[in-house]
Amino acid sequence: MTENWPVADLDPVRRLRVLAAAVRFPVYVSEVVLPAPVERVWAAAADLERALPSFISTVRSARITRAEGDRLELLATGTLGQRARFDVVLRPGWCLMRSRFVLGAMAAVPEAGGTRFAALGGFRLPGARLAGPLLTVLGDRSMRAFAEHLELHAHP
Amino acid sequence: MTRRGDADPALVRAAQRGDPMALGELMEILAPYVGRICGPIALQDGPDATQEALISILRGIRGLKEPAALFGWVRVIAVREAVRVARRTAWPSGTPVEEVSAASDPELAVDVADTLARLTPEHRAVLMLRYVEGLDEIQAGQILSVPPGTVRSRLFRARRGFRKAWDS
Repeated sequence: MTENWPVADLDPVRRLRVLAAAVRFPVYVSEVVLPAPVERVWAAAADLERALPSFISTVRSARITRAEGDRLELLATGTLGQRARFDVVLRPGWCLMRSRFVLGAMAAVPEAGGTRFAALGGFRLPGARLAGPLLTVLGDRSMRAFAEHLELHAHP
Repeated sequence: MTRRGDADPALVRAAQRGDPMALGELMEILAPYVGRICGPIALQDGPDATQEALISILRGIRGLKEPAALFGWVRVIAVREAVRVARRTAWPSGTPVEEVSAASDPELAVDVADTLARLTPEHRAVLMLRYVEGLDEIQAGQILSVPPGTVRSRLFRARRGFRKAWDS
């Protein structure tokens, strides 16, 4: 009888909220509803080599250096030439990225009117609490840049 | 008894050190189990209860002494959060069940949810611990912080309420 009992689902956006509340350093979290189907939003977000430089102004380029199932390794180069290696988990609607100093996550779920898209960013540095306001500014800019991503508004 | 995989003790230790990838992986492992506990207790608020239970679990993971005790520890927190969230919302019976999915037959699952909705969160918790988790009255009483006699009387009333609602 119990196989028919209700089971609660934790969708990717809720997973991102849980992670934001659980990590022990300050993170910036932003959510937006985009007027595009989740498949198109996720296609744009999950194309990390194109997406990261286009919506994070401090990233000049990103290159996937290894892929095994849903685990990737990505090398990001900043505008000042600095490099960072990221461990990435990439699944439909969910992406989690961690370098030595940075944590990033994205999530997308269908919602009336389009797609709820959530992003998380944070610095894993000692004293990172001081970076709170900077994180908010960077996060807002990145989210706006992603929301204005041309492909999300293109007709199929 | 609910089937569940075991979490690698090394993964639990990494999550206890605050590694965000380990916290993410542990969340993936625990979310289905927590959802099975929160669904029958919190019903339409199940996703909220699951979210809040997992926040509580991952924030408190440092306090878990023995990784092998993970699922028992998670169960206590999930039941507590589900009852708390369910109490917060007065839910009139007949409200459509949203975001509560069935493991198999969706029509029957809605019937079960509708029937559970006529019981209090505490009675739903007793039924869930007995029939979903397969616990006896002593074990259920320990989780709910009530004596076994209280579990027995709640179980009796919950079963009667369940049958009445089912037959109506």
